[in-house]
Amino acid sequence: MRLNRRLFLLSDLGPNRVLASLALWHGVQGALLIALGVGGLVSRTQLLSLVHGIALAGAVVVGFLSVVASIGIARRSHIGRAASLVVHYLLFIAALIGLASALDLFKGLDVLADYAAEGVPFLMAFVFMVGYALRTIELSERPVPRWRRRIGSAVMLVGGVGVALSLGLVTALLDWVAKLLQSPSALVWLALAVISVFLLRVMWRDPVAAWLGARRTHGEQLVGWLFLSPNLLGFLFFFAGPLLFSLYVSFTNWDAFNRRDWVGLENYARAFGLVVQPLRVPDQPASEALDVRTYSELMRVHLPGQSFLIGARDRLFWISLGNTLLFSALAVPLSVVPALFLAVLLNMRLPGMRLYRTLYFIPSVAAVVGVALIWQWMYNSQVGWINYFITEGINFINALLGTDIPDPQIRWLADSSYALLSVVIMSAWQWIGFNTVLFLAGLQTIPRELYEAATVDGANPRQQFFHITLPLLAPTTFYVLVTASIQALQVFDQVFIISNGTGGPGTSTLTMTLNLYQNGFQSFRQGYASALAWILFVVIFLFTLFQFRRQRKASSAYES
Amino acid sequence: MRFLTFSPFVRLGAIALWVLSACAVPAPLPQQPAQPPAGEAPAAPASEEVVLRWRTRPDNKEEADVYASISDEVSKRIGVKLIYEPGGSETASYQDVLKTELASGTAPDVFWIPGTDIADFVERGLLLDLRPFAAKTPGYSDDNFYPEPMFHLTYNPATGKTGEVLWGLPRDVSTFVLYLNLDLINEAGAPDPRELAKAGKWDWAAFEEVARKVNALGGDIKGYGMNAWWGPYGAFMNAAGGGFFNKERNACNLTSKESLEGLAFLKKLYDEGLAVPYGEDSEPPFRAGKVGMFQNGRWATPGISTVTFNWDVVELPKGPSGHMGNWLFWGAYVVNKNTKHPELAWKLVDALTQPEIQAKVAARGTNIPSRRGEAVFEEFLKILPEKNNQAFLNGLADQPTAEGPLWTGSWPDFDRAMGAVVSDLLTGKITLEEFAKIACDEPSKAFNR
Repeated sequence: MRLNRRLFLLSDLGPNRVLASLALWHGVQGALLIALGVGGLVSRTQLLSLVHGIALAGAVVVGFLSVVASIGIARRSHIGRAASLVVHYLLFIAALIGLASALDLFKGLDVLADYAAEGVPFLMAFVFMVGYALRTIELSERPVPRWRRRIGSAVMLVGGVGVALSLGLVTALLDWVAKLLQSPSALVWLALAVISVFLLRVMWRDPVAAWLGARRTHGEQLVGWLFLSPNLLGFLFFFAGPLLFSLYVSFTNWDAFNRRDWVGLENYARAFGLVVQPLRVPDQPASEALDVRTYSELMRVHLPGQSFLIGARDRLFWISLGNTLLFSALAVPLSVVPALFLAVLLNMRLPGMRLYRTLYFIPSVAAVVGVALIWQWMYNSQVGWINYFITEGINFINALLGTDIPDPQIRWLADSSYALLSVVIMSAWQWIGFNTVLFLAGLQTIPRELYEAATVDGANPRQQFFHITLPLLAPTTFYVLVTASIQALQVFDQVFIISNGTGGPGTSTLTMTLNLYQNGFQSFRQGYASALAWILFVVIFLFTLFQFRRQRKASSAYES
Repeated sequence: MRFLTFSPFVRLGAIALWVLSACAVPAPLPQQPAQPPAGEAPAAPASEEVVLRWRTRPDNKEEADVYASISDEVSKRIGVKLIYEPGGSETASYQDVLKTELASGTAPDVFWIPGTDIADFVERGLLLDLRPFAAKTPGYSDDNFYPEPMFHLTYNPATGKTGEVLWGLPRDVSTFVLYLNLDLINEAGAPDPRELAKAGKWDWAAFEEVARKVNALGGDIKGYGMNAWWGPYGAFMNAAGGGFFNKERNACNLTSKESLEGLAFLKKLYDEGLAVPYGEDSEPPFRAGKVGMFQNGRWATPGISTVTFNWDVVELPKGPSGHMGNWLFWGAYVVNKNTKHPELAWKLVDALTQPEIQAKVAARGTNIPSRRGEAVFEEFLKILPEKNNQAFLNGLADQPTAEGPLWTGSWPDFDRAMGAVVSDLLTGKITLEEFAKIACDEPSKAFNR
C-alpha cells in the first residue's frame, strides 16, 4: 500500500500542477503522433501496405484524441479525462502488440499450437481441466462444496504449473529477458506500456476524476466501453479496417504484389462500361460493329426494322450479375416456401418429431464442400443416382402404360441450360433445414389460444394458416427472406465446387462472387476484384432496402 | 489453503505465464542426427537455425507420404531441416493459394508449379533466378533435362532470350494416353487399339471406329471420355496441325483451319453421343466400366489400376498432321524470391531433381522422370511392367507440344476465355461456324497485358 502511494504521489502535487502536466503531456504526445502519422502517410510515394496504412492512420486518430484530451484537461472537463483514458488504453494495447511482435511471441504461439496438444503438456492441460470441472460442476442443486472447490483449485494449480513447466517456462522466461535486453524496439514498447499503465492509473484515481468534474456515471460509462472494447477493437481492425482498405484498393490497379497505381473510378467504369451499336443486318459479326479489343458482345436486341448489339467492356461482369440474380430468384423461393410448410408439419405434436427436426437440419450443418461433391456425383449423367431414378421411373411408366416416353438423360452439369438449375436445387436442399428451424421458432411464438378461438369460430385449417399463421409469422418470414436473399446473392462455394472453379459449362454458373474470386485470386486483379465486391455490396444493400420498404408497407397495411 | 482461492491477478498471472511459455519457441524437437546415405560424403552438420519449407501438389495421401519420406532423405543429404507441406485441396486451387501466400509473405521457400504458370510467376517477380547457383554446382547442366521445359525455365523476358536465367528445374514430365477398357472393347468386337498402334494403323479413323463399336453396346456405355480442360481438346487441335497460339505465341490461333479441324472431329464425337458429355468427369464412368477409352495422363494410373476390369493403355491416335499431337506436361520446382536461404534452397531443388529421388516419385506410377536418358526410361518401364508403359514414352517421342507459359500475355485469362468458348462448342451451344467467327475475340484480350 505504501509502495502504491509512493508510485502515485503525483496526485498529491495539487490539481493545478498535475492537470497542467497532463495537459502538456497530451498536447506533446498528440502533436508527435499526428506528425508521425500524417508525415508517414504523405511522404510515401507509393500506396501503402495494409499494416502500415492502419498503423499510420491509427497514430493520427490517437494523436487527435490526445489533443482533445489535452484541451479537455486544460478546461477541467470530464471529456478530457475520458479521452485521456481512451488514448492510454489504446496505446497500452498497441504497446503490448508491439512488444509481442518484437519478442516473436506470435511465432511462438504458432509453434505452441503445433505441439501443445500432445504429450505431457496435453496431459497437464487435461489435469487442469479436471480441476476446473471439480471446482465448478454442480452435481446437485446445492452449490459446489468448499472442499471440492479447494481440491479443484489445487488440481488446477498443479495442471497449470505442469503445462507451463512442460512447455519450458524457465527457458521461456530467460529467453524473453534476453530478447528484451537485446532488442531496443522491445524496450521502447515496454516503456510505452508501463507509461500508459501509469497514466491510466493516475487518470482513473478519484482525486483526478473529481478535479475534472467526472461523476460516477461517467466512470460507469467508461467501464461499459472497456468491456465492449475487445469486440469493438476486433471489429475495427478485422472487419471495418479491411472493408475500408478494400474500398481504397478498388480505386487502384493493385495486383497484391507490385502494381499499386491510383486509377480513380476506372475499375467501376470497366465493370459498367456498355456500348450500343446499330447493326446493318441482324447477324452482322460483332467484330465489324465493335472494337473487339475493348468491348465484347453481350447481347443483341432485335426491334422491328433495326437490330442493336450491346457490347460490354467486361461481359463476364454482366453475365455473372444475371446469373446471380437468376440464382437468387430461384433459390430463395425454393428454400423458403418448402421450409415454411415443413416447419408447419414439424410443429405438430407427433411421435418422433424431434428426430425429424434433426434430420431436416443435418444438411444445413454439413460441410458445403462435402455436400457439393456428393451432389456432383449424383448429377453425373451416366453413373449418377438422379438420372438412374429418372430412367427407372420412365421405364416403369412405359412398361406399365405401354407408352414410349424417351429417357431425357439430362446432362445436369454439362449442359449450360441445366447447370445453374442444378446448383439451385442443391443449394435450396441445403438451406431448407436452417430456414425451417427459423420458421419453427416463429411458429412456437404464436399463442395456441388464437387457433383454439378460430376453431371455435369455425375456421378450417387452411383459413387458420392464411389468416393466423402467415400474418403472425410475418416478422420471421421477413428475416428468413432477407437472410436467404443475402446468402443467395453471395453464393460461391457451391458453384466453385460444382464447376471446378470455372463457372462453366461456358459461363452458365459464373456468379458475382466467383467472378470476383477469379479476378482477385487467379488473375490477381485485386483492384478490380475489390470494385466488384463493392458493387455486389451495393446490389445486396439495395435488395435488402427494397425488402425492408416492402415489409414496412405490408406491416402498416396489416395494422391499418 | 486460502492461497488456492485464486484472485483475478493470480489468474491473469497464470495466463501470462502460459503466454510467456510460448517465447521459448522454436522448441527443440527431437531430431535424429543427420546420416548421409551409404557411400556418400557426410553433409555439413545440421543447422539448428535453418529451416526450409517446400511444397508440391500430390494427388493423394500416398503420394504425399512419398514426398514426406523424400523430404527426410534430402534433409539428411543437404544438412538442413526441411518441412514438407502437401498443397492443394478440394476448395482452393493450388496456385491461387500459393500466390496468395506469396503476396502475404508466408509462402514456402521452394515449391512446385505447373509449366503454364512459370511466366505469370516470373512476370510478377516471385521467383528467384537460380542461374548463379547452378553455375557453381559441379555436374549441373540444362541438357540433363528435356529441352522443351528448359526453354521456358531459362527464358529471360527482359531480353527475350533463352539460356540466360534459370527459374527452376522440372520435377517430372507426362503425356496423354488412352486408358482402355479391354473387356468392353472385346465385347464390342472392336479391334485392339494396341495392335493397331503396333501396326501403325492407329489414327483418327481407327479411333472413331473403336469408339463407335463400343458405343453401340448401348445403354449408358460410351466409346470415349475426357475431362473438360485445355489438355484433352488441345491434343486434337495439335494433332490436326493447329494449336492455341501462333508460332510466336503472341496471338490466338483457335480459328486456324487446322485447329478447327481438330475441334470438328471432337465435336462430331460429342454430337453423335459417342463420348461422355463434355463437362462431366469421365473418370467415374470409366472406373465404373462404362467407357471404352478414357484420355488422361500418367497421373491417373494409380487410381485406374484399382479397377476390376481388364485395362491397359495405348498412345493417342495420329491425326491429319501425322502426329499424335500429344502434350509434354511438366511442372517445376522453383524458389521463392524472398527466401532467406537462396543457396540452400537451390541445393534442395537440385537434390529433389536427382535421378534417384525422381525414381522414387516415379515408382508411385504417377509421373515420368524429367531427366533424359535410357537408364531413366528403363526404370520407368519397370513400373507396372505388365502394362503398355511404352505408350507414354511413344508420346514423348512423337514431337509433343510442351505445356508452356504465355510470356506475351496472361495464361489464366487466355485459358478461362478459351475454356468458355470451347465448352459452348462441345456442348452444342454454338456451331463450328459460329465458333470460327468468335473464338478468338475474348482469348485475344489476354495478350493486351
